[in-house]
Amino acid sequence: MRILIVDDSRIMRSIVKNTLQALHYPPDTFLEAADGDQAWALLEAQEVSLLLVDWNMPGLNGLELVKKLRATAKFQSLPIIMVTSEAAKYNVIEAVKAGVDDYMVKPVTEKGLEEKIRRVLGWETS
Amino acid sequence: MNIRYILPFIEAVETAFNHLFRLQPRALTPYLVKKEEILDWDISGIIGIAGEAKGVVVLSFPAALALDLTTILTGETKTAIDDEVTDAVGELVNIVTGNAKKGLEEFRLLISLPSIVQGPHHQITWPSGSIPIITIPFSTTRGHFSLSVGLENIITI
Repeated sequence: MRILIVDDSRIMRSIVKNTLQALHYPPDTFLEAADGDQAWALLEAQEVSLLLVDWNMPGLNGLELVKKLRATAKFQSLPIIMVTSEAAKYNVIEAVKAGVDDYMVKPVTEKGLEEKIRRVLGWETS
Repeated sequence: MNIRYILPFIEAVETAFNHLFRLQPRALTPYLVKKEEILDWDISGIIGIAGEAKGVVVLSFPAALALDLTTILTGETKTAIDDEVTDAVGELVNIVTGNAKKGLEEFRLLISLPSIVQGPHHQITWPSGSIPIITIPFSTTRGHFSLSVGLENIITI
């Protein structure tokens, strides 16, 4: 399993990674990108099982990346969770319309992240 | 005067500090910023707001508290302001502003990427014109910091 974490904040990528490691995801699960362009290049080169993507980033932002992925046949069913500080309902609606499978407002919690990952990957919640 | 729209920002600060640092910041008495004021802080994270209102959100810290908070986030002891400290301050102001939008949903607002100003007694270039800037000082068990917010035609005095 490979999880690609896309966030322009290195600290935020580490927090997400550490949160998932506390949930027993092994360290080699994670790939990282600092913006949508880097993420796109990684997605083209490697198999990814889940994308966790921030919204506000320099270059190709998270929303633009999601739209680009959903317009590309091979990424139409890639599970995507947007992990962002954007907490307004109109932001959530815009992200869902763009094609995200779920949406999480920062700061992330272990329980919240686990539930959303299990849901988008179709795993049973224990 | 209408400063009730400050409340979503105060709540967002409380939520972020509680979740990220297990701290309960206490909001002290707000005051109106004099725009030429030199700040008594060492590092500030700034977010610009556009859309149905223009404005600015600033979180300002003394170096010791910024280092302390970054140490908590990274697990590595920080002794000087570096890229990780500026990253932490930028992400904090981003989280506070993004979360505050939940309490301001009647206005469609866009937020910028964060920028950082640092240096002892640095100065912020506030939006020009008559937008009032309200500062809310906060105290925590680890030190003081401040939140400053200006939102044209939304926060008025």
